Parts: sequence; C-alpha cells; structure tokens
Amino acid sequence: MISTKSLSRRGFLNMGVAAGAGYLLPKTGLISPAHAATPLAPVAEEDAHIAFGHTGPTSDEGWTWAHDQGMKAVEAAFPKLRTSYVESIPYSADATRIFRQFVADDANMVFATSNYGDFLYDVANRAPDVAFYECDGRSPLENLGTFYLSHWYPSYVAGIAAGAMSPSGKLGYVASFPVPSVYSGTNAFLMGARSVNPEATLQAIVINSWFDPQAATQAGTALIDNGCDVLFGIMDEAGYLQVAEERGAKAVMWNTDLRRYGPNAYISSIIVDFKDFYVEQVRRRLAGEWTPTQDLLPFGNGVDVDAWGESVPAEVAAKADAVKASILDGSFNPFVGELKDTKGNVKVAKGATMSEQELYHWNWSIEGVSGLDS
Amino acid sequence: MRDSASVQQRLGLTPGTPPILSLKSVSKYFPGVIANESVDLDVYPGEIHALLGENGAGKSTLMNIVTGIYKMDAGELIVDGRRRDFSSPTDAIEAGIGMVHQHFKLVRAFTVAENIHLGWPETPKRISRNSLETRTAQLATDLGLAVNPKAVVADLSTGEQQRVEILRVLARDAKLLILDEPTAVLTPQEARELFTALRAFTARGNAVIFISHKLEEVLEISDRITVLRNGEKVATEWTKDCTEKSLAQLMVGREIVLTETHKKSAIRVKAAPVLSLSDVSLKGEQDTVLKNISFDLYPGEILGIAGVAGNGQRELTYVISGLSQPSSGKIVLDGEDVTRAGARALAQKGIGHIPEDRLHSGMAPTLSITDNAVLREYGAPPLSRKGWFSPRGAANLAREIASIAEVMVPDFNMPARNLSGGNQQRLVARREMRIAERILIAAYPSRGLDVGAINTMMRYFLELRDSGVAVVLISEELEELLSFSDRIAVMFHGEIMGTCPTDKADAETIGLMMGGTRQEDLP
Amino acid sequence: MTSMRLQRMPLAPPRVAFALRVLSVVLAILTAALVLWGSGHNPLALGAKVISSTFGSSFGLEDLSLLFSPLIYCGLSVAVALRIGAWNIGAEGQFNFGALCATGVALFVSGPVWVILPLMGVAGMIGGALWILVPTLARAYADVSELITTLLMNFVAMLLVYWLATGPWLDPSGMALATTSRLPVSVPAFWGIVHWGLPIAILIAIALSLFVTYTRWGYEVRIAGANPGAARYAGMPVRTQLIGIMLLSGALAGLGGMMEVAGTVGRLQGGISNNYGYIGIMVAVLARAAPIGVLATAFFMAVLLNGGIVLQSQGLTTHTVLAVTGLILLYAAIGDEAAHYKILRTKAKDG
Repeated sequence: MISTKSLSRRGFLNMGVAAGAGYLLPKTGLISPAHAATPLAPVAEEDAHIAFGHTGPTSDEGWTWAHDQGMKAVEAAFPKLRTSYVESIPYSADATRIFRQFVADDANMVFATSNYGDFLYDVANRAPDVAFYECDGRSPLENLGTFYLSHWYPSYVAGIAAGAMSPSGKLGYVASFPVPSVYSGTNAFLMGARSVNPEATLQAIVINSWFDPQAATQAGTALIDNGCDVLFGIMDEAGYLQVAEERGAKAVMWNTDLRRYGPNAYISSIIVDFKDFYVEQVRRRLAGEWTPTQDLLPFGNGVDVDAWGESVPAEVAAKADAVKASILDGSFNPFVGELKDTKGNVKVAKGATMSEQELYHWNWSIEGVSGLDS
Repeated sequence: MRDSASVQQRLGLTPGTPPILSLKSVSKYFPGVIANESVDLDVYPGEIHALLGENGAGKSTLMNIVTGIYKMDAGELIVDGRRRDFSSPTDAIEAGIGMVHQHFKLVRAFTVAENIHLGWPETPKRISRNSLETRTAQLATDLGLAVNPKAVVADLSTGEQQRVEILRVLARDAKLLILDEPTAVLTPQEARELFTALRAFTARGNAVIFISHKLEEVLEISDRITVLRNGEKVATEWTKDCTEKSLAQLMVGREIVLTETHKKSAIRVKAAPVLSLSDVSLKGEQDTVLKNISFDLYPGEILGIAGVAGNGQRELTYVISGLSQPSSGKIVLDGEDVTRAGARALAQKGIGHIPEDRLHSGMAPTLSITDNAVLREYGAPPLSRKGWFSPRGAANLAREIASIAEVMVPDFNMPARNLSGGNQQRLVARREMRIAERILIAAYPSRGLDVGAINTMMRYFLELRDSGVAVVLISEELEELLSFSDRIAVMFHGEIMGTCPTDKADAETIGLMMGGTRQEDLP
Repeated sequence: MTSMRLQRMPLAPPRVAFALRVLSVVLAILTAALVLWGSGHNPLALGAKVISSTFGSSFGLEDLSLLFSPLIYCGLSVAVALRIGAWNIGAEGQFNFGALCATGVALFVSGPVWVILPLMGVAGMIGGALWILVPTLARAYADVSELITTLLMNFVAMLLVYWLATGPWLDPSGMALATTSRLPVSVPAFWGIVHWGLPIAILIAIALSLFVTYTRWGYEVRIAGANPGAARYAGMPVRTQLIGIMLLSGALAGLGGMMEVAGTVGRLQGGISNNYGYIGIMVAVLARAAPIGVLATAFFMAVLLNGGIVLQSQGLTTHTVLAVTGLILLYAAIGDEAAHYKILRTKAKDG
C-alpha cells in the first residue's frame, strides 16, 4: 500500500524501490530536482487559491473529468481554500491570457492539465511566487513542475487482450497529435498484442484534437472500414467506443470506465486518477515545502487497467492479469530490445531496456505501426 | 363617385352598369417611398383606359396591386361589383384580369402553341402536339389575333411575340387586359396592328388599361385617361377633351413649352468626318450583335439612331465609346485609328457618353455625389497630381457640375442614389458634356425625365452641336429624333438599314426600316 | 387623424448611428447581466471584475494589446477586400500561411536580426498574398465567387500548419509538443510583452485610410468596389485593381500571422490563428470597411474577447461567454439598421 505522502517525487522513487522494480528507475532527468530551488513560502489554507486549466470540458467523462475529480479531492481535503478552473483552453495565445488571469486573480498554485508549453512558461516566468504544474510537460522551471503517467504499462497489458481478441490482427488507434504519449501508447499497445499475435499491426489516424467527439467518431468509422477490429485511442470521451459497439468491433479506452457506452465492445480502459497527487502537492504548497518536481504516476497508483469488459474471455483476462502482476512485481519488463522503427532501423539494441525517460519521450513508431511517422 | 351615370352613357352602356374594375383609395408604401396614395380608378366595359404618368409616378405599382403581385396597404379593390382581396397573381387571373408586361414571359425555345398552354389549368393532362396546335389556331381565330401555332417563339419578331403574349392572357378568359408600355418594342406599323386588335377586344365588352408615357399614342387609342403623379391620381379625363399640352401639364404639374423650334446648324464647320466606322462588327456571347456597320459622323451634326430597343444600339455606343472592342472593322477618330484605344483613351480624346443604364454603368449609386461627379476628370490635374487625389478639388468640381446642371444638392457626401432619376441624368449629362470636345454619345437621354427636363436636355445637345461637336442621339421616341436630329440612321438586328437626312425622312419610311426593310428596298 | 409610420432613410445621421451603437452595447450588456443574474451569478461583481482585470492592471492591458494587434491585421485584410466588393473569408488561412512562411525564414535562414525580421515580414506578406492568389485569379478571370474559395483555402492552410508543426518542423529537442522550436528571432517588445506588431498595425490602418481618400488609386478602388460597371465605363483597369487589392488583403492577413508567430507566440503551431481571421470579418463589417473604423471595432472586439477570458476564469463556460459576445454583436447590427429609420407622422386622408 502506498501512502498519499509517498507520492511526492521522492515518494515515487521510493514506491519504485518498494515495488522491487529497480530497473524502472529512470537513468536521468526524472529523479534529479530540476532546479535546486528554495521552497515557496507557506500559504494559510483560508487565503489559498488553487486554479486548474483544463484542455476539455469537465463533463467529458474522461481526462478532464478525472482532473476535476482531483480538484474535488483537494476541496475535500482543504475545505477552506478557494479553487477555480477554466475548461476547454485552446492551444493558442488565449492559453497565456487565461493562465495570466489566474495569476492576476491571486492564484497560489496553477495546474495545467495538458501541455501548454510556452503559453504556460511565459506566465510562470513572470510569476515566481506561484507554483505551476504542467501535465505531460517537459521543461521544468524554478516554479514549474511536470507530471504524467506511466501509461505504457497498462497500454501493454490492454494490448495483450486486444491482440487475443482481434481475429484480423489489425488494430486501430484514434490519435490526437503525433506526440510522445501517442507514440508510447501505440507502441506499447502493439507490443502487447504481438506477444499473443506476432503478425498484429496498428493503424493510427491523427485528428488534431484531444476532444472532438465527431472527428473521433469519423476516425473510428474509417479505421473499422479499413478492417481494424479493435480500436484504441487517446480521446477524452467515448466516441469511438460507440462506433465499435455499433459495428461489432472491440475497443480499449482511456481515462475512465466507459463500458456503459458499449458493453459488448468494451475490453478495458487506461484508468487515470490524480486525486492523491493533487492533494499531496497542494499540501506541500500550503506547508511551504513546495519545490518543483517531475512526477510520473506509477502503474497501479494513478494509472491502471480497468476491470475487464464482459466480452473478454476468461483465459484472455487471466493471461493479461498474469502479465500485469509480473510487471508490478518487477519480474517482467516489456520494453526490452530488440526494437526497430518503421524503416527497419534498430532503435533499441537486443537486450537493452528502455528507461522511463526514454519511454516518456518516445517519438518514433515501432515497425508495424502506421499513420504517425511520415 | 362623380357622375358615373354619365360616364356609362357616354361609353354607350346601360346606366348602372358596374365597372369591371374599381379601385377606391388604394395606397401602397415601400420603405422610404410612397408608391401609391389614395388612388381611385374605375374602368368600364368597352373602354380603353390609358394610365399616364412619368417614370416613378406609380403606374407599375398600381397595376401590380391589380394583378395580385403586391398587396395594397390600404383601400378597396372591386372586380365586377365584388370586393376582392387577391393573395396571388393566380387569383387575379381567375377574376379575369390579365397583364402583358414589357418583358414577355414566354419560353423562347417552345412553340407558340406550347407557350399558350403552359401553366394553364385548362390544358388537358395528356394531349398530342397536333391537338395543341388545333386548339391554339381556334383561339387565335376566335380572338382575332393571327399567330402561327407551330412557330418557335425565338424565331418570331417582337411584335409577333407580343401577340402571342396577349393571346396567352386572353385565352385565360381575361375581361380586363393590362398592357405595360406595349409600343416601346414595336415599329409604328406593328403598333397600329396592336391598336386594331385592342379595339376589337373592347368591342366585345371587355376593357383595356393601357400604360404609357407617350402622349401621342395615348390620345390616339384611349377613351379616357387617368394621370398619376408622385403616386397620386391627378385627374381622369375624357380623351377627346385632352391635348398633348394639357396632358403634359397634368403629368409634370406645371406649364411647359413643348417642342421649341430649333434651327439646324447652318454651317458645317468641317467637311471631314470627325469619326468614321468602317465594317465594324461585334460578336456577342451567342451571335453577332453588330454587323458591318459603316458610317461617317460630321462635326456639328446630330445623328439620330432609330430602332426598336435591343437591335444593337447599346453595342454601337459601346464600340464608339471604347467600352467594347469590335471583333472586326476599323474606327477612325480625326484621322487616328482608335479601334482598340479603350474607354479611358477615348474619353481623353473628347468622346463623352451618356449611357442608357446610368445606374449600372454611368454611376456608382452607393457612392457620394462628389465621387460620381468627378468620374471623368479624376485622373488629371487639378484633381490628381502624381497619383495623389485631391478630395477638395473633387468637391469643387462636383459643385461646379451640379450648378450648371441646375441640380440642387443638399449634401455632396450623400449617396448619388438619393437623387431623383432626373437629377442623376442631368448630372451625368453635364459631366459628359464637359469632356465631349468632339463627340457626345447620348443613349436614351430622355428616359426618366419629365417633359420639361427633356426639353432642357435637348437644348443642351443643340448648343453642343452648334459649337461644332458631333452628337449621336439614340432614342426610341421617333418624334424626338425627327425634331432634333440632322440625320437619322435606323438599326435592325445589328445592322444599319439606312441613313437619311431628317428633312427627307418621315415616320412611315423609318418605321419600315425599323421593321427590317432596307433603305434600297423601300417602295 | 394622424398615424405613425416608420420610414427607412437612405442615410443614417452619424450622431444617431453613434448613439444607437452605444445604446445597443448597453442593452446587450444589460440583457447579458439579466441572464447571468437569473443563473445565479452576480453581474455587478462580474462586470467590475472584467473592467478591473482588463483595464486595471498592466497584465490586462498587455493582453488586450496582444488581442488588438492580430484583429487589426485581419480586420484590415477583410475591409480592404470589401472596398473592392470582394469577401475575403480566408483571412484565417492567409494568417496561418503567412505565419508559416515567416517561420520558414526564421528557422532556415540565418543572419542578423535586422535582416531576418524584415525578411520574415516580407515572407509573411508574400505567403498571405500567395494564399489568396488562386481565389483571386478565379474571381478575376472566371468569375468564381471568392466567398467559397477563400473559405476552403483556410482548411488547407490550417492542416498544413498542423502537419509542419507536428512533423517536419517539430521541435527536435522534444521539450515542446506539437510545435516547432522557439524562433531564434522575435519582434521586439516595447511595453511589457506588447511588441511592435501593434504600432505597425495602427500605422498601416492610418496609411490605408489616407490611401483611400487621398490617392487616385484609392478613388478608382472606391468606384470599382461600388460599381464595376461604372469603373469599366470610366476606363479603369477593373481586373488589375481587383487582383491588386485582393493580394494586398491577403498580404495584410499574412503580415498579421508573421507578427503573431514572431511577436506573440514565438513558435509555429496548429491553431495559431485562434479564429482571428473569422473575427476579422466581424471587425471589418462593423467598421463598414473603413480602415480607421477597423481600429475602433478591433479594439472593441479585443475588449469583448478579453472580457470573455476573464469571465471564464470566474466560472462561466465558454458557451456563455460566446453567447454574450454574440448578443452584443447582434444588438450592434440591429442598432445600425435602426439608425436608418425615422418615425413619420402622416395625416391619413378621409375616405
């Protein structure tokens, strides 16, 4: 059992050791503090203002909903502080305006639940007293930390079930942008599928949005038309699951349990949970302990596979569960070479293990994935 | 109602006969315009009732109310003694009211028989071509309008097309026939045939409303005349009590002097032509619209161009003013080949052009009066220097033009469309006369003007002519051409049928040429 | 017996028009306040928040300026085209493509800043002009409506930017997602984060306004825009003018894109245009295509948009904010039309 407090950056490290997964430790970057900063001054709970900037609507039943649950957990843990949030922030200069508005509104801590890059850094640089967190971020500052999820492990496990349940061996993926979380998600999923069906392939369609139910639905339809019979993706809502249900295909989802939208199609979901992380970071901020961290919420606490769908055969579920257990207990790591890219170049040598850092920054497709690398 | 008994008696009807159509206090408003205000009108069986008025006097609006196209805002409409409220043109047709518009509503690719039966509820669902034609021939005989049922409409002359249109209306049992400017598209001979057919129609107890602004033919054809001015009825008179002068006065609202005498310019300043066209042809989108036009234009003359509208007059003005380049042939201006010079160069060489559709080409109605007034001179000092434009210079020039054109302009920044049609025409005319050092092309300059303004305009042209400028005057008013031009050329189907000095011309021969007879074939 | 009648006057008296503009904004704000109040918000507090956040802090004023600038470029772009009677619905695409071309220069041409920046400006303008070239030629030579063609080009430009920013031009450091690396040069700022793109835009608006009134070409464009038939009649080269003006329109939007990428954002990425091109249509229409008017309406739109952001941070959803902005525009349009009407008292005749 992992305590709430252990979820700090150091906690994450401890957790890794505790889990006995010594090789999961990143070689560089993620464990060293980005900056030897002094902690920000403490804030009285009743004076505190914690702001959340979301990429989608909190009603999406997915990614933004999960972050919103995190905010509610913060409100429950610290009832006297003030929270505020803005939904559907575009990836444009408007994002800067919104984050600046938070600062102007005396926010002590700002969580950006997606990668807003420079739009956020421009604000953070000019507000040194405010703590910032950027989800999926990559450039820490003295007052800006990053956090994300080791979602490649549950993606691999879900991939095992997908591979076993795909007669054609053709998997489909509804992608937002060709960014590392999409590369790691597609690669891990296909690797899982290939562990049961070495011939499996994966086709991705990029729709240039994290939340666009109509485009996601169209992409799902196109993938099924192309012969894919199991869909995966990184959408914040249930669009392509409904397509799979209608067309008799299967689907693996992200964020939350969405089986009610497609009980027959539902295999599982990459479940995310930010509650403990948010509560812990707010606690540190209020207590005057906060320095920026770079966290990857680990498999099993923060990110997990959902309970299997009703159409998943027992033996498939058992097989996937066994692999999950072996990953969690450290006896097995799926991300070991040899791995080739789509052009056949060896990118990870035989026997070499990919570091957490490499998995987080994965920006190439393995052989068998199409639609991302041009 | 004033002495209707005597009206019926004078028309030879039994006393108490109700009018076929009766309008009581009919009003119609458009945003910003009073189109009709409290108009009363009675039309009795057996009469040809002329509706007279200047452009914009409200004639068309009133007839659109009678034919169910517009709904009136106030008043009553009574047909055959019953109050009616037409909600669509179909209602009006059922009530026995038919209208022949200036622009025919015929399908050009269909035969006469097909056009007559098109959209007619009495046309049987299935019918052979032969029986269609037989029915049409029967109708034509019954109604006394000779047409060839087999002919395709596109092949017919304008007069014949009009006859088909009338037949189409009468076939639907019209008791009241409304004709909107029917003679504008006809040669004098065709007009006379039309009048005969109309008299036969009213003799059967029907009525005609005849819309026109030509005083002469109104006096010839009608029994009574109603004059509209500014949307209101001015008077209804017995035709035999009217003269051209009294009618003109009623139309314009003040006394005017008609047809001044004007001496022809005695001296030809130069014997050499200022402009020569040789074998000029112009291809339109489908066919040739100008065919081998050749003529010389001399300084100090007014050359009248006669012809039914749409026979190439517009294209001729375009070619002379440089708006269109001829497909073949040559145009020489004072010894210089200007066939492909273009509109700007020709304007600079002293060719002014009052276009026939000033709202589409002569002006930019949405722009200020100043902008419109300087359209011809904006490019040269003092208005433009090295690409810079002087708004002040433009305003000065606009004031100057407005003052010689005798147009009162409250605000030179207001859009030109706010001026009345007559004032627009005066401004354009004066603007063009300023640059017309050699030639002025005037296409239908009297359109939209009241009788007084026409006189003023014609006086301008005479002055211009006397100063040695050549004027090309295009008009559909034969009388106007006969009284003002020195020579008259007649156009038909894009060709010039013939040219003759005005003192040797008469309406009869020009009418024949307008109908397509060549000068050399004249009797 | 007197009756009242509304009469449409051809010219709206300027004072009435202005008064109705103000009235319509006030009415729209009142309506919005009523709706907000009905849905449990405190409109007074929200209004005070919007005003203090927008005008009461340098943060707010800087944000306002950064919104103001691209709206001027796009508004001018649409307004200039309207002057010659063309609807440039494609300012969005030209903005994107101008930004793309400027980025190309910044990423692949090296040299001193004072060479690279002007070069980027030129590239942005050429890019914008290039992006309207096909619709322009189609309109000038085949009479194809530019309304559709310019609109369609928007999607192409947008996707092109997405593709470049996430593909070939993706930040190689891996530190930024779905965007190019930070441009090595940027338009210098003169106040806080407000860069020279804004004063340049204002200068261009003034220059265009002078151009329209005080040059021969400006007069010709005015005529050709109001009535091409009259322009041809006066021997003006209507087609050349149309092409020239439409390319200028594209160039203005393209320059706006360059300023946005090199001044405000610093990287090329999808969605860089942020709908400025479409809002520019409203800006131009509200300004009745007058360049100086564009300055006023672009500022007004910037205040609205910035106010919208403030409202969002106060817990209102994007949709509510959009509805409020839409309401203000609708009322302004009604007010403009109403300014043309006058109440007439007429004596009805007996009868």
